[in-house]
This record gives sequence, structure tokens and C-alpha cells, in this order.
Amino acid sequence: MQLFLEQLINGVSLGSLYALFGIGFGLVFATLGILNTAHGAYASWAAILGYYAVEWLQVPFPMAVVIGTVGGGLIAIIVDQVGFQPLRGRKGGMLGALITSIAFLIVLDSLAGTATGHQSWAFRPGHYPDGLIDFGPIRVPQMQVIIIAAMLIVGIGMHLLVQRTRIGAAMRAVGWNEEAASLGGVNARVVILITAFLAGATSGLAGVLGGAATANISYQLGEGLLLKGFAAVVVGGFNDVRGTIIAGVLLGVTEVFVSQYLSSTYRDGVTYVLLLGFLFLRPRGLFGSGSFIRA
Amino acid sequence: MEMLLDFWAAYSSTVVFAMVNSFIALSMYAVLSAGILSFTTIVFAAIGGFMAAQMIAGAGLPISVAIMGAGLAGLAASVLLAPLFLRLETHWMALASLALVLITRVVVLNAPALTGGVNGMLVPVRVGVMEMAIWLALVALVFYRLHHSWYGLATRAVREDPSVAATMGISTWRIQFIAFAISGAVGGIGGAGMAVTLQFISADTYFLGAAFTMIASTVLGGSFHWFGPIVGAFIFTALPTLMQSIVPSIQDVAKGVVLLVIMIYLPRGLVDPRARKLRKAARERQTLRDHHAPLEPSHDTILPGKTSKEAKA
Amino acid sequence: MTVSAHQDQGAPLHELRNVMMRFGGVVAVDNLTMAIPKGSVHGLIGPNGAGKTTVINLITGMFFPTEGTIHFAGKRTDGKQPHEIAALGISRTYQNVRLFSGMSALEQVMTGCYLNRDSSLFQSFLGMPIARANWRRVREKAMHLLERVSMADRADELAETLSYGEQRRIEIARALGSDPQLLLLDEPAAGMNQSEAREIGKLVHELCDAGLTVLMVEHNMSMVTEFCQSCTVINFGRLLITGDAATCLADPEVQAAYFGRKKHA
Ligand SMILES: Nc1ncnc2c1ncn2[C@@H]1O[C@H](COP(=O)(O)OP(=O)(O)OP(=O)(O)O)[C@@H](O)[C@H]1O
Ligand SMILES: [Mg+2]
Repeated sequence: MQLFLEQLINGVSLGSLYALFGIGFGLVFATLGILNTAHGAYASWAAILGYYAVEWLQVPFPMAVVIGTVGGGLIAIIVDQVGFQPLRGRKGGMLGALITSIAFLIVLDSLAGTATGHQSWAFRPGHYPDGLIDFGPIRVPQMQVIIIAAMLIVGIGMHLLVQRTRIGAAMRAVGWNEEAASLGGVNARVVILITAFLAGATSGLAGVLGGAATANISYQLGEGLLLKGFAAVVVGGFNDVRGTIIAGVLLGVTEVFVSQYLSSTYRDGVTYVLLLGFLFLRPRGLFGSGSFIRA
Repeated sequence: MEMLLDFWAAYSSTVVFAMVNSFIALSMYAVLSAGILSFTTIVFAAIGGFMAAQMIAGAGLPISVAIMGAGLAGLAASVLLAPLFLRLETHWMALASLALVLITRVVVLNAPALTGGVNGMLVPVRVGVMEMAIWLALVALVFYRLHHSWYGLATRAVREDPSVAATMGISTWRIQFIAFAISGAVGGIGGAGMAVTLQFISADTYFLGAAFTMIASTVLGGSFHWFGPIVGAFIFTALPTLMQSIVPSIQDVAKGVVLLVIMIYLPRGLVDPRARKLRKAARERQTLRDHHAPLEPSHDTILPGKTSKEAKA
Repeated sequence: MTVSAHQDQGAPLHELRNVMMRFGGVVAVDNLTMAIPKGSVHGLIGPNGAGKTTVINLITGMFFPTEGTIHFAGKRTDGKQPHEIAALGISRTYQNVRLFSGMSALEQVMTGCYLNRDSSLFQSFLGMPIARANWRRVREKAMHLLERVSMADRADELAETLSYGEQRRIEIARALGSDPQLLLLDEPAAGMNQSEAREIGKLVHELCDAGLTVLMVEHNMSMVTEFCQSCTVINFGRLLITGDAATCLADPEVQAAYFGRKKHA
């Protein structure tokens, strides 16, 4: 029972990383119409920036999280303005943006590889919250609690932002049509910048926290997150923050339990079988209601 | 002459790889040209690749038979998959195809009897340059014929404006189904080509890396004409070798930057029939103006674009 | 004009019966019943936003009606896919020209001839003579259609390099490629000057004399009186009046709805 609970929390925290990452990926796909393959690179870079901040500049961990998060957001803005902005308003923009995102993936990953010397780094003990917290009979790593809390705060915040605020309404409008958004009194360009920043920042947050929790800060961190975050987006429905969160947590828990109670060789298999099932049985995600099936 | 031979000795393997990649790029083009963004090519390539590897390593069949078998296997897979995919809306189809690439890897890893599992498969033979060239020529001929056929016209119409195409009696579903079938067969051949040039294939051979680089080279070369993907595949295959000799330390960065710059300035790719025609029209208008300047009325509208700036395809 | 010669050919080729089209809360077409007599040029008129384009979209199957039925040549067409309806012999042009980017004028028209292909994919795949002969035949047909709209000398030019009026004519030629029985023209003379508009009107009349039935959405009243034998007037998606063109336009309700509003527009 104790092991079960500990593994459950372990799974929820892993899933929270997927969800945190998937929120931004889905947001950009749904509102800006970009399948951004470079989204994982933001996470890698945020983790690297966080690492530099802690280990070289000796700043406290919370500060490093902020640096990584903001850094991820800024990189996302640069990628958007250099790689995606010139293609906006052109026919076939989705395809073009996919290709420029691949170009950035190549560049950012390769630079990240150079920056880390193609090694996997980890925060040194004591430089990040590496203690355990007692919850009655079970003991939970501090990082897992932080990750779950971060995901809940960011997830709820993003959901409210997208669904309840004028900026959110404008984001959804930009997804359909840039002109419509500017007619609504909100400058489309600003909305795009905000969306890009938020997406990069959530990816960055997932990167720093994940890098610390899994002791794996490298150019490959982002790829791992991309694969699972992507699965969360597909299962959850790409235009729905709630769906992404639930799907992400579900995938994390499944993954942990499968490797705990079945075999770790089936870990990815189960994730992707779930993915396949959702794709064809419920191709609109958990809460899907949009017309994602052709008329 | 000697220099030429040296060059060939050094680069013949690059040429073979470029030809193999051309199949993959053409397979992606087959669906792109019908207005579908899909990564299923990599799935078809995996099926074709392991099929060919089994036929050669397991059954001892000759390469050409294996390539044919791989094409048929890819075709069969695409015909089964297409109806499922064509139910989905375009955005969702792109995601679904990417998911399928992830799933394929897991399947490959967990079916060691067919694929060698985590160890992959060794392919004990290597295809000759000529044989690959003949296969590519055959496939290119098919694409050439299709381009100048009903199907070619219909794909262009469906890609540009599916609802207008429908009012001309063109069934989008039918056209896109055929596109998937062609993509499957050519993708299967490409996957087999990878097997008989790399001589070792595993789950990672047919994964995201290949999916991303191949779609990039297809669009870079130009996805509006069948020649574009071949040009793109050759450039993208040669680029790392080239960069290696110019800027060895940052070759990947340079590759990404080249891709980025080309996509921003030539978003329709290097081979673009439309840009060529627009340039021709502009030239003709210019000569006309030079000859009878006062006579030429200038009410013709030309689409705003960067025609003059666009490089020669 | 040959208006009187057509007047008795009254059997409807196409009918809308009690058709209703809602978009969320907007009722774009409201319980509309309309019949297009075979072999005539029928006008569909009404102020901006009256639902004219929506009617054409309903006829071509781009929208499915919320209620009501649609009949063409004795067959129900509501619920059929656009390409199936096209195959029955209905063809159209668009209010805001929708030519295919990147295709030459000739290719546009050849695409319009898609339903006239009689070689299979496999035959062109193999480059069989029958496929090439078919291709040549359709090419000639497309050239002939371009001549009809006086665009033959621009056949090889990209459609997007042509002027607006020229693009409209290419679109008509493209619509004729499938040898339709019913041609739907959505404001074919919009943005043209008087003489260009009359050219279009004359072309439509010639086509009609050759047996084609035409539904023409038109804002230009002199075009309607000159070229349409009968017409239907709608406002807010509802039928105002239908019948002989001159009678319709003289109707006081039409005058009020149409011209009254148009002055403000
Ligand atoms: N796809 C759609 N979704 C929602 N509303 C629509 C749609 N198409 C048309 N409408 C609405 O239906 C009404 C009729 O539009 P329609 O385009 O048919 O008018 P029209 O008579 O062609 O006008 P115009 O003379 O300006 O071309 C309008 O109020 C329009 O906003
Ligand atoms: Mg209209």
C-alpha cells in the first residue's frame, strides 16, 4: 500500500511534467496552427540555463526556475518572430512553419549538445530541493510535490486565461483568423507574442523542474518530453487545457505502474497503445467537441 | 578524368543515399501534393524496410525482388490506413500520423521475430548505384506521367481549394486515397532502399529524425512539382558532407540555418513552377513595354509577391 | 431578344421546396420554394445578405439544408456530396473568383473538364495511347471553351496574372467544362464595366439558346431585365416574389426592399 501510494505520486508527478509541457505545445497548435517540433528544445535550454544559474552564478533554485522559465519564453518568442512570423498570412503557412520549426530544432538541439558537451548533467545535491517530505506513512521527494503544485497552478491559470479572459478569447480568435482578432480590438501581433511566450515558458518550466527531478539535463531532455507531451496532447485533445492535464497525468501514472507491476519494456508500448486507441476511437480527445472529423 | 574518378570514389555513396532519400521525399510529396500533411511515409518505409530485410536475409531473395515486395507491402499498408486517416480533419491527421510513427517504433522494438527487436537487422547485401538509379528513374517516370494526367490536375485542384474542386466533380476522398496508395508504395520502396544501402536497420532508422529531415527536404526542394523532392533529397543529403568540409564544428547549425533561410525566402521551395511562370509573365510584360511603351495598358493585376527576388529554380 | 421564344418552356429543371438554412442563430434561407424553368435564364436577386450565395451553396451541396428538399431533374440532391451533385450536371462560378493558384488558364478549364475524362488513372499511369488521345481531346475542348469567352490567346498564362474580368471569364469557361445542364452564376458581371457586363450577358444567352439552363445572381437591374426571362426575388432569406422578370422588378415590395436598401449600402 505504501509502495502503491508512493508510486502513484511518482506517476502523477511524471505525468504533471508531460501535462505542463503539453499545455504549451497544444496551445500553439490550436491557436497559431503550428506543429512546433522545436517545442522540446525550449525545455532543454531552460534546464541548461537553470543549471548554469545554479552551478555557476550560485543563485538559489527558485531563482533558477524563474530564469529557465523566462528563458524558455524568450527563446520561443525569438523562434516565433524569426521562423514563423515571415510565413504568416501566406497560404500553406502550417507546412512552412513546420519546416522552419524543424530548422530550429536542428539548430537549438545541436547548440544544446555543444553547451553541455554532449553529456547529461545534474544539479549537485543540496543545490536544489532534494529532500523528502513525510505524509503520514509515505515519504515523497520534495521535487515531486513542487512539480505537481506547479502543474496545478499553471494548468488552472492557463485554462482560466484561455476560457475566461479577453486575451484568451483573442487567442482563440487568432487561431481562426488574424484579422478577426484585430477587429475584436486586440492587436493580433501582441496576442501571438503572448501565446508564444506562454508556450515557451511552460515548456521551460517543465524543463527545469524535470531536469532537476530526473537528474538529466541534456539536449535529449526535450525530446523525451516532446514525445510524451505530444501523446498527452493527442489523448487530451489539442485545444483543451483540461484534457491535456488529465491525459498527461494519466499517461504518467500508467507509465510508472506498468514498469512497476508489469515490465519496463512495456512502458512505452502501453502509452502508445492508449494513444492509438484514442486516435481512432475518440479522435477529438477526452473533452473533444470541435469538428475534428470531416463533414 | 582522374579527378572525376576520385570525386566519384569519394561521393558515390552520398549519391546512392540521395537517391534512396529521393524515394522517401517523393512518398511525402505524393500526399503533400494532394493537400495532406502526413508522416505516414516513415511507417510505410519501416514496413518496406523490414520486409525487404526479411526477404533478403531470411529468404535469400535478390534485391530487386525484395524492393518490389517492399513496394507492395507499403501499398497494402497504405490502403488499409488511408480510410482511417481520411476520416480525420487535416490538423488532426498530421498529429495522428506523427503518433503512428511513435507507435511504429514501439511495435518494431517488440516484434523481434520480424524486425530483430532492439538489435535491429543486418542486411548482408548492398545495392549497386545503377540498380538504385534505375528504380529511381522508373518511379520518377510514374510521377512525371501522373503530373500530366487527370490525377495530376485533380491533386493540384484539391490541394489549392478542395471545395471548389468538389464542385467540378472531383472527389477529394478518392484523390487523397490514391495519393496515400502511391505514397505507401513509394515509401515502401524507399524503406527497402534504406535497408540495402545502410545494411543495418533498426527501430531508430525509421523514426522522428528521418521523418523530420525528409519532410524538410521535400518542402525545401519544392512540393509543387515532382522534381522538387528529388532536388531536395539530393541537397539535404549532400549538405552535411558539404558543411563538414566548410564549417566542420558547426555543421548541424549551418544545416539548420540554410533550411531556415531557404524556407523564409522561398517558402514554396526551390523548384516552383508557379514562380517560374510568374517570372516569365513579368519578363514578357517588360519586353512588351519596352517595345510599345505607350500602347500597353497596364490594368493587368499581378499578385503581390517576391517574384523578382526569388532565385532561379 | 429572344425572350418570348423561351417563355413556354416551363417545366422546372431544378426545385427548392421549403428549404431552411440556419447558421447557429442566423436564418440565412427561410422556407424558400423556388423553381428554375428548364432552358431559361432565371435571375436570383435580393439585397446584400439576402441569402443568394447561400442558395447556390445549397444547390451545389456545399451546405446541407436544415430543412426542406432539393430536386434536380427529378432526383433528390439534398444530402448528396458536392462532387456527386456536380456529376449530375450542375456547375457554378463564385462571387469572389476562386481560380486555382499556380494553374494556367488552360489548366483551369481542363480541370473543369474532369468529369469528361474517359481514361482511367491506370491508363495514364502506363502512358497508354487512349489516355493521351483523351488528354488531347479535352485540351482541344478546353481551348474551344476559352475561345468562347475570348480568352484563347491567354491560354498559357497563370490565372493570377490576369485581370479580374478576365478571371471571371476563365471561371465561366471552367464551369462549362463539365457540360452541365444547370449553370449557377454568382454575380458574373460584378466589377465589370457596362460593355464587359453585356458581353457576359450575351454569352449567357447564347449558352441558353444551346440548351443550357442558367441561374444568375445579379445586382445590375438592367442586366436582369435584358437577359433573364424569369426571376426570383428574396429578402432576409424569404421569397418576396417570383415570376416574369419585368413584373417582379415592378413590384412595390421589391422596389422597397431592394432599392430602398441599396441606396444606403
Ligand atoms: N458559412 C456561413 N456561416 C454563418 N453565416 C453565414 C454563412 N454563409 C452565409 N451566412 C449568413 O447568411 C446570410 C446570407 O448570406 P449570403 O452570402 O447568402 O448573402 P448574399 O445574398 O449572397 O449577399 P451578397 O449580395 O452580399 O453576396 C448572411 O447573413 C451571412 O452572414
Ligand atoms: Mg453573395
